[in-house]
Amino acid sequence: MLALLALVIFAKSLAVLGILYGLCLLLAVASKIDFGFFLKRTLVFIPIFSLFMALPAAFSFATPGEAVLRLGPAVVTRQGLWGGLFFVCRVTTAVSYSVLLSLSTRHFALLKVLRAFGVPPVFVMVFGMAYRYLCLFVEMVENTFKAVKSRVGFVSATRQGQRLVAWNIANLWARSFQMNEQVYLAMRSRGYRGEPVLSQGLRARARDWAWVMSVLLFALALAWAQGKGLL
Amino acid sequence: MSDAVFELEAVSYSYLGRFPALKSVSLSIQRGQKVALMGANGSGKSTLLSLLDALIFPDQGSIRFMGQPLAEPRLDEGDFSADFRRKVGLVFQNPDVQLFCPTVREDILFGPLQLGMGPAEAQKRLESLAVSLGILHLLDRAPHQLSLGERRKVAFASTMATDPEVLLLDEPTAGLDPLTTAHILEMLLKAAAAGKTVITATHDLHIVEAISDEVYIFGQDKGIAGHGSPKAILADTEMLRANNLVHAHPHLPWDYHAQRLG
Repeated sequence: MLALLALVIFAKSLAVLGILYGLCLLLAVASKIDFGFFLKRTLVFIPIFSLFMALPAAFSFATPGEAVLRLGPAVVTRQGLWGGLFFVCRVTTAVSYSVLLSLSTRHFALLKVLRAFGVPPVFVMVFGMAYRYLCLFVEMVENTFKAVKSRVGFVSATRQGQRLVAWNIANLWARSFQMNEQVYLAMRSRGYRGEPVLSQGLRARARDWAWVMSVLLFALALAWAQGKGLL
Repeated sequence: MSDAVFELEAVSYSYLGRFPALKSVSLSIQRGQKVALMGANGSGKSTLLSLLDALIFPDQGSIRFMGQPLAEPRLDEGDFSADFRRKVGLVFQNPDVQLFCPTVREDILFGPLQLGMGPAEAQKRLESLAVSLGILHLLDRAPHQLSLGERRKVAFASTMATDPEVLLLDEPTAGLDPLTTAHILEMLLKAAAAGKTVITATHDLHIVEAISDEVYIFGQDKGIAGHGSPKAILADTEMLRANNLVHAHPHLPWDYHAQRLG
């Protein structure tokens, strides 16, 4: 997946991006995830959002070149349009791969894969705990906003809203600091002495290695074809 | 030879050296005993459990564990520390503190693996615990996806994974519905029946008789206000009232029953 993502990032032609996006769709089908949900998640907001980001690049002040459209004093250039389109396609493809990974693989399996790649246990543990407590803190913030809503209703004034967010940040910081201490005690209570011992990571089987090799070969072939100007 | 698991002699503790949490507490807990530590919020029960689990150490006084002094330098010794952690397990009041791994499976395996249990043995222990506590279906779930009752069961399992001789529990039934409370009590009583020493901090009067054969009442002065058998303690409504464990209003079920019993 990383090799494919790297290829998306360094792709220089729309054909390469098209092939990679096609492969992503094939993998999504093969993964047996909810295909409709996958498309909705990757094709609704991501292209629109990236289009907004790429919009200024279409104009001559950002990308000088051959004029194709005049909107008053602003001029849209062919090079700018091409660059913007390429950016949108690249973002959509890259995000599709990331979404496919998150939908098809549980987060703890990803952590185990990190161990298989030789990442030290302490880092894997920290990533795991960060994910665990991120979810908890998001829940806390959500509950705080629900509590505010139940007591004062809709917050309309910007200043009031800003104050509320500031309180929330401060409160969350205090609670996370307090929890940090307690979690450390809970770890010590169960025998932690500074060097974590974690359960075994994933064991790669022959078919896993075969898959890794074929993806790498595919990525290399595509990179070669792109380098030779064949795509 | 004494069969005491913990012996506390005039133990005092304060947070940041300024906020007293326990004052001159002396008590002795015997092997296989079921002890309830009762008191209102802020009376020092959780602090005492942290002291018994050697997570914090007294400002004054001394604690002995199975005849040996329980002091900070001793816990820095690898062998003593591992032996102590293997023998004593604490179930924290807040399961979100105790369940810090990405999945339930890893949380339960954490203790045994830190204490040097082999992966195969730890796995076997995990499976038998998951079956006996009815949490097999939760093993690959993330702790934040569980209900409070499920999280408490998993926290209990993560402590029991090392098969400790002494079980410390901080408010194990707080905020639970009656059925889940019954499940937790059942797990606790099973542990006691297996010969473990069970020390439970609670202010739930309904469970005291079931979980203890000795009760210590902690007062607002952060010291022991009284102790005795659960029957004697529960009958002493004056002491319970003085230590904010029952309410003075006669409409509460506890007072109603007390009045009926004379």
